Amino acid sequence: MAAAALRPAILRRIRLSPSPSLPFAASAAAASHPHALVRWLARPMSSHDAHLTREEVVDRVLDVLKSHPKVDPSKVTPEAHFEKDLGLDSLDTVEVVMAIEEEFKLEIPDKEADKIDSLPLAIEYVANHPMAG
Amino acid sequence: MAFTMRAVKVPPNSASLEEARHRVFDFFKQACRSIPTVMEIYNLDDVVTPSQLRSTIAKEIRKNQNVTNPKVIDMLLFKGTEELNNIVEHAKQRHHVIGQYVIGQEGLVHELGSKDQGSSDFLKKFYTSNYF
Repeated sequence: MAAAALRPAILRRIRLSPSPSLPFAASAAAASHPHALVRWLARPMSSHDAHLTREEVVDRVLDVLKSHPKVDPSKVTPEAHFEKDLGLDSLDTVEVVMAIEEEFKLEIPDKEADKIDSLPLAIEYVANHPMAG
Repeated sequence: MAFTMRAVKVPPNSASLEEARHRVFDFFKQACRSIPTVMEIYNLDDVVTPSQLRSTIAKEIRKNQNVTNPKVIDMLLFKGTEELNNIVEHAKQRHHVIGQYVIGQEGLVHELGSKDQGSSDFLKKFYTSNYF
């Protein structure tokens, strides 16, 4: 009874696409145009169309560092070391890594996170991460 | 109480200071990762930012930075974990979280402008120390 009442309520909020999903459309198109299949097979396999560019990663990591209350923004360069150049301690370093995680919507595993102690390493990690967004 | 006991598992004691230290960082990470949930549960978006909360957690940890006994660190970690679980399980109300972690040590009185010049030292201390 409740399910019957719920059904129209749910259906009103969900919009189902009337067109068939992409693989079917592509294979149907491939029957008439062989090039379409080639193009479909060569498509990027990731769900992200555009990966971050390295410049963007550098800019955003630098912004994260500059917004940290203990960091002097003028000292932040892409080559800086967290502890030696920026004067952060080990807890601050973890804090910065967590801030970078939040900025790029990542979850950096402990083993990797322990190794990140300078800006070049952080930039390298984020730039090479396929899910960084 | 039973609710809390179920949620908080007691790990074996840390064998060394290094291990205890590592556990502190793990706890800090765990706390940082639950910040988005906490912001959502307690509706904190308009009063605080995630980075401010992160700094507050770091500050709370830093209060005990001179502790070198691994057993004491374990005990503090247990208390921290319990507190974190209480917050994440919504065992607190919004004003608890705001009072402890957003307004924090600064107390209720923020600006000490011209209107506060006349009030006595006693009153100022009273305002800053009696808010929990």
